[in-house]
Parts: sequence; structure tokens; C-alpha cells
Amino acid sequence: MMERCLGAYRWRRMQRAFRQFKVTIICLLLTIVVLRGTIGAGKFGTPEQDYLEIRDHLIHTSRKRAEPHRVLEEVQPQQTMASDSSSSGGGGSATTNSYTEFDINTILKDEEPDDKPDPNKPYSLGPKISDWDEQRATWLKENPQFPNFIGPNKPRVLLVTGSSPKPCENPVGDHYLLKSIKNKIDYCRLHGVEVFYNMALLDAEMAGFWAKLPLIRKLLLSHPEIEFLWWMDSDAMFTDMAFEVPWERYRDSNFVMHGWNEMVYDEKNWIGLNTGSFLLRNCQWSLDILDSWAPMGPKGKVREEAGKILTRELKNRPVFEADDQSAMVYLLATQRDKWGDKVYLENAYYLHGYWGILVDRYEEMIENYHPGLGDHRWPLVTHFVGCKPCGKFGDYPVERCLKQMDRAFNFGDNQILQMYGFTHKSLASRRVKRVRNETSNPLEVKDELGLLHPAFKAVKVSSS
Amino acid sequence: MGQDSFTPQKRNTSSTLPTVATNGSMYSTGRVVPRGRKIHKTFNNIKITVLCGFVTILVLRGTIGVGNFGSSEADTVNQNIIEETNRILAEIRSDSDPTDPNEPPEPDLNPNVTYTLGPKIENWDISRKTWLESNSEFPNHVNGKPRILLLTGSPPNPCDNPIGDHYLLKAVKNKIDYCRIHGIEIVYNMAHLDKELAGYWAKLPMIRRLMLSHPEVEWIWWMDSDALFTDMVFEIPLSKYGNHNLVIHGYPDLLFDQKSWIALNTGSFLFRNCQWSLDLLDAWAPMGPKGPIRDEAGKILTANLKGRPAFEADDQSALIYLLISQKNEWMDKVFVENSYYLHGYWAGLVDRYEEMLEKYHPGLGDERWPFVTHFVGCKPCGSYGDYPVERCLRSMERAFNFADNQVLKLYGFSHRGLLSPKIRRIRNETITPLQYVDQFDVRHHHVSSKPQS
Repeated sequence: MMERCLGAYRWRRMQRAFRQFKVTIICLLLTIVVLRGTIGAGKFGTPEQDYLEIRDHLIHTSRKRAEPHRVLEEVQPQQTMASDSSSSGGGGSATTNSYTEFDINTILKDEEPDDKPDPNKPYSLGPKISDWDEQRATWLKENPQFPNFIGPNKPRVLLVTGSSPKPCENPVGDHYLLKSIKNKIDYCRLHGVEVFYNMALLDAEMAGFWAKLPLIRKLLLSHPEIEFLWWMDSDAMFTDMAFEVPWERYRDSNFVMHGWNEMVYDEKNWIGLNTGSFLLRNCQWSLDILDSWAPMGPKGKVREEAGKILTRELKNRPVFEADDQSAMVYLLATQRDKWGDKVYLENAYYLHGYWGILVDRYEEMIENYHPGLGDHRWPLVTHFVGCKPCGKFGDYPVERCLKQMDRAFNFGDNQILQMYGFTHKSLASRRVKRVRNETSNPLEVKDELGLLHPAFKAVKVSSS
Repeated sequence: MGQDSFTPQKRNTSSTLPTVATNGSMYSTGRVVPRGRKIHKTFNNIKITVLCGFVTILVLRGTIGVGNFGSSEADTVNQNIIEETNRILAEIRSDSDPTDPNEPPEPDLNPNVTYTLGPKIENWDISRKTWLESNSEFPNHVNGKPRILLLTGSPPNPCDNPIGDHYLLKAVKNKIDYCRIHGIEIVYNMAHLDKELAGYWAKLPMIRRLMLSHPEVEWIWWMDSDALFTDMVFEIPLSKYGNHNLVIHGYPDLLFDQKSWIALNTGSFLFRNCQWSLDLLDAWAPMGPKGPIRDEAGKILTANLKGRPAFEADDQSALIYLLISQKNEWMDKVFVENSYYLHGYWAGLVDRYEEMLEKYHPGLGDERWPFVTHFVGCKPCGSYGDYPVERCLRSMERAFNFADNQVLKLYGFSHRGLLSPKIRRIRNETITPLQYVDQFDVRHHHVSSKPQS
């Protein structure tokens, strides 16, 4: 029929052309599909999104609810079923009294836009200060009511920790953060250490694990009365409440981290030291090392490139963006002459204790040893590296992490509760039981560990 | 124009391609196509079709992952992880205890025997004085101020919903900040010391325990977990209470004339560490033990206090009832404070923060700049509050940021709005930071000038 319209010759030519282009068209189509699948096409989306839309549409029309599959997402059904009718206002409306299914992000809002940093300026933590030691010494002399030593061998210490100002993605993450800060409050109360809990991101460039650097600098400069700043990660817990840090040992050091000299200087191993728990003296040297530490931190290209350098230079480091710990290993290994003499890599006790090798041994420790040792027999700090209880995905199975964090918490809490005559029913239990009866002469009772009125908390008798 | 001479012009993926296109249909009449060729052609056709189809499926699998033929293994693994995680979370959030099944049930309290917090102590004042004299390195005054211990707490299990835990965390940070600035120690209690006195009554055994274990502490300050400090500069004028042993926020007329159940608030109060306090705690406790005692007591309280709804006895109503009915015994040592907001009911305060920022300054502690904003009724740790959730959480966030701004001021930062978790710089970095320390550190204000009481 077409032949008759167009003429046989033209028709044949058309068909030939068509034949030729069929292949081209098929290949073009395939290319587009593949590109959409890999790159996506902006608002047109990816085939996966298409598929999901189609599926939802179809399922919707067939009246089935598709259950979203996300690891660690909130489980509502059993809770809403148990609730009574007072939530008839409906979820999501402004008048509901029910806390389930409420999205906090509908409340939080920024009233000002983010600052855009100047991409051409090299990053710096702040204007360079060169005479901090003198400034601080003058200030301390003028302010004798804020001494930097609160006892003969006891410097004033500020323990700094923190977490994100937004709720955790994991529904129980905030609960573990709460237990962790309670644990730190307890230790610090016993040892006369002040606590600063940070929930503010001081510098958007240094987000993530680098956020501690601007914070530490800011605290050192704002609190000249502080002699040592003790940074501690939010996933680290005190498990030895009786152990007092040997401050005299660090008389000539400015930076104390848990680690091994050979692993850092000789092997350049990326886990040769740990920056999850360290002590930093408030002095010019510390400001300088913070300035040298920071350049690998700014997020984006700088951090990515730095990450590649670190993976190349350090032993066993996996491929990811630059982190503060690897950067410190690299800094110390390459500039040992400059910094090494004031850095003390402590391994006589667990200023940082990797949880994997400690948590299963708690019962053995309780049986054989006692608090106050701080080392492998009774670790000062159990640090849950890799667990990330606040996030959605950690490096370890959720059950092991959370259960072990409970055990570590109870292990430390038992030492606090024994002051008052109680203990947890077991290391896994939240309930407590009495181990010492009440008496009508409470002042004659001494707690076993002597933590109620310990020597390291005694004030100088001459102070008023 | 025989089909054999047709050569491919573009792609040479397969030399048979061109022959696919050249189907016999083009050459309509007059040509006899050998059968073998025809079959060959069809075969090539099919080959190409199959090839294209195969490639398409591969690409689609890679992009969409269609159905069961796709990543089914990853799906099942994912499903397992999800189920396992949900089970773990449910276990963590439940109230059950791993050791429960092995323990015998504890005996019920005998309702005829009056409940006691512990053996009666008679000479606490003398014992304490002796102890302080022989332990001069633990004085009851530090830096010229009496030693205060702030006691707060929350239940040991996770809240019914995650936002509750988040606000508990923010509240404890708020308390840490105030207490660091003012040299107060914090005890955060997460243990139920006495099974009988659970819930809001749990503070009683803990207060008693702390008083007896820490004779160096002069005042024990209980604060609810839903109360936030909103004036970081204000300090409690303890010199005002030299002759009193209990400082509590309330209104005397509501207490004695109207006998209202909200005449006092036990969300924030101070107890002096002395015999009188131990006696008051002993007199307060009997309505607490859960079960029939608490229910019966609740009925008595509802009958006697104005405006009280019907529910089990709570510590606040019980204290009000105690102080009303035994007025002569206790009231001379109780200071009912309302010149500043030792407890500030949130609903009337949170909307006025902007006005306060404009007109007033921290350090006042009263309705101009409240000392404590207490979120009674919000109950973020439970499933339901007495108020709409959005209002509660919005207000709590505002109160938290309002207070946090006073802390961040020393560091040169401020929140970007009272509802924003992000901060912005309000003071540039400098190479002489100590000038600002003297100016903005709250502790220095108190050393240089005594607060007005």
C-alpha cells in the first residue's frame, strides 16, 4: 500500500534507510537507558525511581501498603495498636498529643543561610597567636581565684565531649548517648574534673570527626584557667571509676594519647595511636600543633585528596577521606623532630581501650581484680570504636554493640552504685539490688573502694 | 540491488546485521528467494533480537533490579537484618530484665505496716558536724558558697519514643552547663533504688541516700528531667535561707487558703542536709509505696486538695497535704519562694523569649528572665503528653537554645534563631582572646560583684 503511495523506488530507499537506522536507534536507546541508570537524569529520575513509582501506584490501587525497608527505622505498628483513642486527631496534625511518628525536622529551622567559605583562602582555625604562654601567665597571675592547679599535683582539667544537635538516626542512639554522658558525669564528679558537652558545630568546614579541632582551640583560648583539656569521644565510657590519671608523669609533655611509639614512628600504622581520648595542655605548643593538624580537615576536595595521601603513606589504612587520627599519625611520623619530644604515647593504662578485646572479660576482671588499675586488668576507658550507635550503620553487628555497651555501662555504674550500697543485678540488667543494708549510723560505713571521699577529690585545706 | 551487495554503513558488530534488515518482503515480486537463505535470514533476525533482548534485560537488572530474578539474595539478607535489628530494639526498649525468670517474686508490702525509707536516724546534725570537723579536706563551703549537689534523673530504659531521649540529653547538657558555671556537682540517677517508690516518688530514697553518704553537701537540689535552666547567670540567694531547710517554689495563699494541689511544685526544690530534712522525708514517704497504698492515698488527696484530678498519690500533692495538715510542725522551716522562678511553668514563658531578649538581661531569675523553665505535662519521654506535641517540642527547643545562647556567648557564637540547631559567629576571632574572657565569662561576674538577693 505504501508502495503505491510513494512509488516503489522511494519506498525501497526508505526501507533501506530504516533498516540502517534501526540498529542505530536500538543502540541509542540502550545508551540512554544505561546512562539514566548510572547517572540519573535529574528531574526525570532513574529507572529505579520509575519502577518504585509504578510499583507504588499499582500497589496503591490494589490497596496494599508497601512496607518501607530500611535498617533501624522506627517500628510503629505495634505501638500505635496499643495506644488508646485519644490520638484520634490523626498523626502529623499540629494538635496531636502523641509523640510517635512526630518528625522533629518540621520544627527545626535555620533563620540564616550558611556562610560560604572563600575557596581561595587556605583554611585556618583562627588568627595566629604567638604569645599565648605569656598572655595566659599574665592572666593567671591577675586572677588567683581561678588557679590552674587545684591541688599539689592536680591540674584543672576540662573533659570535652559532644554529639550532634539533631536527634540520632537510630531510635535508641540518644539513649546510649545519655548513658554515656551520665557515665562521664559520674567519673568527673569523683575526680574533680569539669565537663563540657558540645552540641554545636563551630565550623561547617570541619564537620564530622574534625569538629573537635575548632572546638578544642576555642575552649583553650576561652578558659585560660584550664591546664589540661581531655577530649573524649561520645562512644567511650569510663570503666574504672577509681583510677586517677598520673598527672606528674606528664609534667614535661603537652599531648598525651594512647598508642605505641613503634607503631607510629616506625611502622606508620594508622591505628598506632587513638584520638578518641587524649589530653592536651593549654599552651602555645598545643595551638601550634592544632594549626598543623587542621589542614587535612576541610571537607570536600581537600579532605578527599588528603585521604589518598594518608592511605598511601600509612600502613593498613583503608581508602576513605582523611580522618583526624590518621592525620595525627602522619604528622607525628613525618615531623617527629618538631613535635615528638612533647608527645607522650601512653600504653601503661587504657586511656583508650578498644572494646573488642575487653568487653567479654568483665566477669573475669570482677573475679580476679579490682578498680584502680586502669590497665588490661581493669580498663580505665572502654571505647566502642566503630559501633556508631547514633547512626544507622556501624562496622559491627548492632546486637553485639548495644548489648556490650550496656554491659560496659553497668560495669562502670556498679562502682558508683556500690558507694550507696547497691549494684546492678547482673551486667546485662538495668535493675539494681541492695548489697549493703541501711544503718542508723551511716557515717561509720565506708564504701569498699573509698570513692565517697577519695584523696584525689580533697581540697587544699588552706583554700576557703 | 541484490541483497548480497548491501553493505553496512555504520556498525560492524555483526556482519550478519545488514542481512537482518534485508528481508524478503522488500523484494516483492519476481524474485525467488532460496529457502536456505530465508532460514538463514530468519535465524540471523532472531539472533539479533535475542542479543538485544539479552542486553536490555542485563541493563534493566543493573538499574532497576527487577523482581526475584534480580538481587534476591541481597533482599533476603536485608530482610533478616531488619528483623533482627527490630527484635533487638524492641528488647532494649522493653522493660523486661534478662534475669527476671530466675528470680523469685518479691513479697508484697504489708499495708498495715507504715513504710519507712530506712532505719530512723536521730542525731544526724551532731554526727554530721563531728564528721565535718574531722574531715576538713571536705568542707561544706567551697569558695565562700555552701556546697550544693544537684540531683536529677530519668528511668533506666529508653523512652517510648526516640525524641524523648534526645530531649533528656539536651536537658542534661543544659544542667551540666549551669552547674559548671556555678560550681555545683551533679548526680544523674538512672536506678530505682526502691522498687516500692518508683516513678515520681523515686527521688525520695535517692535524696535521703545522698544526704547520708555526703555529709559535706550542704544543700541537695532536686530538679526534674523536664526542667531547663534559662538564666545562666542567676544564682540562688542561699543567704536568704539561713533559717530554713526546705526551699520550694509556690504561693502561700494557694497553699493555705485554697489548698490547691498545685500550690507548690516539687519539680525543683532544695533540701538542707540536716535532721529536719530526714524527718520530713520520713513523714512524706508513707503515701508513696505503689499499689493499694498509693491508690488509697490518691483518693484522700483528691478529696482534700482543690482541683486535683483522681489518680494515684503523687509526691507533690502528698507534700502539700502534709504541710497543710501538719503546718505547725514543719512550716517554720519551709520557705515558699516566688520572688524568682525556682520553677517556672513553661506555658506563660516560652513565647516571651524574644521580648525578654529585647528588654531585659540574664541574672534576674524572675518573670523578666526566668531562672528555670519547667515543662510540666509535656512528658516527652512517654507516648502522650497533656499538650500538643508540636507545641511542647517547639517550646523545649526554644528554651534550650535560649539558654545555650548564654553559654555560647563566651565563645562568640549564637544559635541562628531560637529554633535552629546551627550556630553562627557573633564575634570575630582575635589574637587577644582574654579580653573577652574577662568580659563574658559568667563566673567572673560573680566574683567581682555579689548578686542581689
